[in-house]
Amino acid sequence: MILSTQQGLPSEPDPEWYKRAVFYEVLVRGFADSNGDGTGDIQGMIGKLDYLQWLGIDCLWLPPFFASPLRDGGYDVADYCSVLPEYGTIEDFHEFLDAAHNRGIRVIIDFVMNHTSDQHAWFQASRSDPDGPYGDFYVWSDKDTGYPDARIIFVDTETSNWTHDPVRNQFYWHRFFSHQPDLNFENPAVQAAIFDSLRFWLDLGIDGFRLDAVPYLFEEEGTNCENLPRTHEFLKRLRRMVDAEYTDRLLLCEANQWPADVVQYFGDPEKGDECQMAFHFPVMPRLFMGVRRESRFPISEILAQTPAIPPNCQWGIFLRNHDELTLEMVTDEERDYMWAEYAQDPRMKANIGIRRRLAPLLDNDRNQLELFTALLLSLPGSPVLYYGDEIGMGDNIWLGDRDGVRTPMQWTPDRNGGFSSADPQRLHLPPISDAVYGYQAINVEAQMRNTTSLLYWTRRMIEVRKQHPTLALGTLTEVGSRNPTVLSYIREYGDDVVLCVNNLSRFPQPAELDLRRFDGWTPTELTGRVVFPEIGVLPYMLTLAGHGFYWFQLSRSESRA
Amino acid sequence: MSELGDLLKEWMPEQRWFAGKGRVLSTVDTTAIELSQDPQVELHLVYVGYGDGGTDVFIVPLSRHADRNDQLERILVGEVGEDPRWVYDAMRDRKVTPVWLELFAAGHHHKQLRFHLEPGAEVPLDLPGDIVSTEQSNSSLVYGESAILKLFRRLEPGLNPDVEIHDALHTRNNPHVAPLLGFVAIEGDQAKGQEDGTIAMLQTFLPAASDGWSLAAASIRDLYAEGDLHPDEVGGDFASESYRLGEATASVHADLAAVLPTGVLDADQVSGVVTGMNDRLGAALDVVPALLPYADSLRARFAALAELHEIPVQRVHGDYHLGQVLRTYQGWTILDFEGEPARPLAARRGLDSPLRDIAGMLRSFDYAARHLLVDGPTDTQLEYRANEWAGRNRQAFCDGYASVTGSDPGEQSTLLHALETDKAVYEAVYEARNRPHWLPIPLGSLAKLAASETKR
Repeated sequence: MILSTQQGLPSEPDPEWYKRAVFYEVLVRGFADSNGDGTGDIQGMIGKLDYLQWLGIDCLWLPPFFASPLRDGGYDVADYCSVLPEYGTIEDFHEFLDAAHNRGIRVIIDFVMNHTSDQHAWFQASRSDPDGPYGDFYVWSDKDTGYPDARIIFVDTETSNWTHDPVRNQFYWHRFFSHQPDLNFENPAVQAAIFDSLRFWLDLGIDGFRLDAVPYLFEEEGTNCENLPRTHEFLKRLRRMVDAEYTDRLLLCEANQWPADVVQYFGDPEKGDECQMAFHFPVMPRLFMGVRRESRFPISEILAQTPAIPPNCQWGIFLRNHDELTLEMVTDEERDYMWAEYAQDPRMKANIGIRRRLAPLLDNDRNQLELFTALLLSLPGSPVLYYGDEIGMGDNIWLGDRDGVRTPMQWTPDRNGGFSSADPQRLHLPPISDAVYGYQAINVEAQMRNTTSLLYWTRRMIEVRKQHPTLALGTLTEVGSRNPTVLSYIREYGDDVVLCVNNLSRFPQPAELDLRRFDGWTPTELTGRVVFPEIGVLPYMLTLAGHGFYWFQLSRSESRA
Repeated sequence: MSELGDLLKEWMPEQRWFAGKGRVLSTVDTTAIELSQDPQVELHLVYVGYGDGGTDVFIVPLSRHADRNDQLERILVGEVGEDPRWVYDAMRDRKVTPVWLELFAAGHHHKQLRFHLEPGAEVPLDLPGDIVSTEQSNSSLVYGESAILKLFRRLEPGLNPDVEIHDALHTRNNPHVAPLLGFVAIEGDQAKGQEDGTIAMLQTFLPAASDGWSLAAASIRDLYAEGDLHPDEVGGDFASESYRLGEATASVHADLAAVLPTGVLDADQVSGVVTGMNDRLGAALDVVPALLPYADSLRARFAALAELHEIPVQRVHGDYHLGQVLRTYQGWTILDFEGEPARPLAARRGLDSPLRDIAGMLRSFDYAARHLLVDGPTDTQLEYRANEWAGRNRQAFCDGYASVTGSDPGEQSTLLHALETDKAVYEAVYEARNRPHWLPIPLGSLAKLAASETKR
């Protein structure tokens, strides 16, 4: 294994590191099991940091690993300041942070502020002692009729946002599962308790938080209880606290909303005084739709509709993550279409989304996997990879809830895919073992031995991306071409100009690009450094293989410079 | 003939825009109007007399340079005796192209030539214009990503309908037309009763757009690649685009009716329309004998039209098909309100039923569905699927149209079918003469139109 010579994080402050970072989402439970108990753990992750550094990852995003009854994949937190014992201890986590930082890898963790598990001590106290210190920590009501305009998010499992508690004999408010009561942010004590919990992790040295489900913190009658002004005020206060007490820390907001609404979570348009990053949810389904339709317009439209963001902010974009492929951000017509196209089996549909991994979504077609990854790494925003997608892992749609895309990482062709030495029956989830996606066929070890593997290819593209800051920081301008199946754009950041050309069609396509603005410039293909013919004022002719793509650096021709 | 006339006599027939191809040129005379001195750019009105007695006036901008320029060799028209001696095609002489925009900005008015800028329009300056390589009968320059100048190559008396309609729609802010920025008129000699003519129009450029035909063709290719799926099941389904195109069409029709004249054809005029259709069918039978088996049914289709006592008419597009619409990231835009180029200008500015445009687009869906089949062996399975695609998208287009107007154009089937038949007859003649292997497309449609008539 070739290790990068660069070690550790920069010693100087780097407050905008997240604008150039390549993120990698990894589930502690599913990555590596160090003690053979069948469940991934923090020590296991420490052992895999060299791999992540080799791959070129800048920042890990860890979904919740807190004490939890695990009825919602750990998003049901029972104690904000402790690690689930199966995963290890706070000391293990400390060691993990140091080891990651030594390799130049930052770590952000999920933080679920909106609600807790019903097993959280706060909730137990609140239900049994309405007049005690925690009595007002949750949203209680004698009736179940309040806030009728708030939609129900988990339409599969929940029928109301209110659930009756027999102990307190009142209804409590919950935007998600009924075992996840919403905290009452109108109570200053709740806000203080949350701040203290955040400080606990910041003091340990984490590099930021992904703030889960932030649009729902406050409720107000007569509204849909999403994106309320008081929610933004609270987030601004949170940001002020983080900036005042710590350096180089990131707040990444998860607001599954349209971009025009999401930009509010960046705060002030000039200063960006709320979250520095937010996920751009609608891009992802549009990518799938554009390729399936063989038309660039679904993607062009969403790029054109994406509003400007403050200069110190960045979008987070992803192809897949631990949740289902979210279809909330598409129109009904598009949703029907996506369901019909990508989820032929009803079990693949979860809530309002599709629970598949990238490779099976794309019929394991290497060309499409490369095209989608190239789009992810070249569209505006910081890319977030999902563990296992770099080797083309499959999913198991027969597992409950969203576990189908959370199966163990496949390291080797050995027992349990090298994830764990436990008896296979003890594994928290069975590894994928079918003929196509099973760990005997798809695993890190095999792909590291083969430089033409998807893994090597992905690593190479991450490397190329890092050589061209414009892919992270540059503006995007779509380039005209008569061919509707070819999506082309220029990323521009000072002198760093990159042209990306993507064939969304399965067939070979010509593209006559309108590159008049770069008359006299020369394209150099970025993976092989092959110099292409100079650009003139006539349409620039390229041919692309089916689902092919190019990244070109554009530079002024030397003869003319 | 002048020295320049001799040069143009050789040069013009080789130009793609030259409409007199195949005819003998007997006389070529030109009148020059200076557009700019430095660089030297002239607008030439070139009067052509044909050996067959016909005449045409062509609009030819030329640039003149004192020295021969190697880089411009491909666009050299020739050398004349007086300085500057070297004459070039000004539309492709990139360095002189900013002249047009400067004249627009200055509101230039020289001799009979008048540059008119629309209220509030802004033109970019110091930008070279690049020739659009795909054009046939006219020539266009694209200025950066902001403006496109279309030069009409054949001068006809009267306001060009493309300018007229875009000008009239200016106040409507319809999102489905590209805003007009200005136009260049040439004033006719009023003493001789001459109307003004139109030289050029300047319009907002739509960057990163694709025409409807390319999009539809991508959808068709996708369909044919999936052996066993129906058009509504394949990824490349086009129906939602067709629906939005129907909406856009209805919206533009409504605005045309609001700002330009409308009327009603009475029974006499309707019977005139029927006569015209029958005459065209009669002439087509001589060229395409394969039409004979359907002639009676098609005539019956036209005859049914005579039973309509009145037909509402308005200004329409007139030459509407998938190649005349552009998809941008903001939706569909309708282009080229010039009408059918072969018809005289007065006829192109006449009133017609909006169903004429709908019929044109419905025919275009048939063409799109089947154009990939013309070069292969007969394949009834693919034919079936082509029909399925056309049917689905034709219906989606009509549904989109109906969602704006409240009534399905398909319900006015007597008129719509007659117009479709008339259009397909025209296509059959065109294909028989120009692309015989495409003839099965209109013939197949006419067979279907004839058969559906007899069922009633």
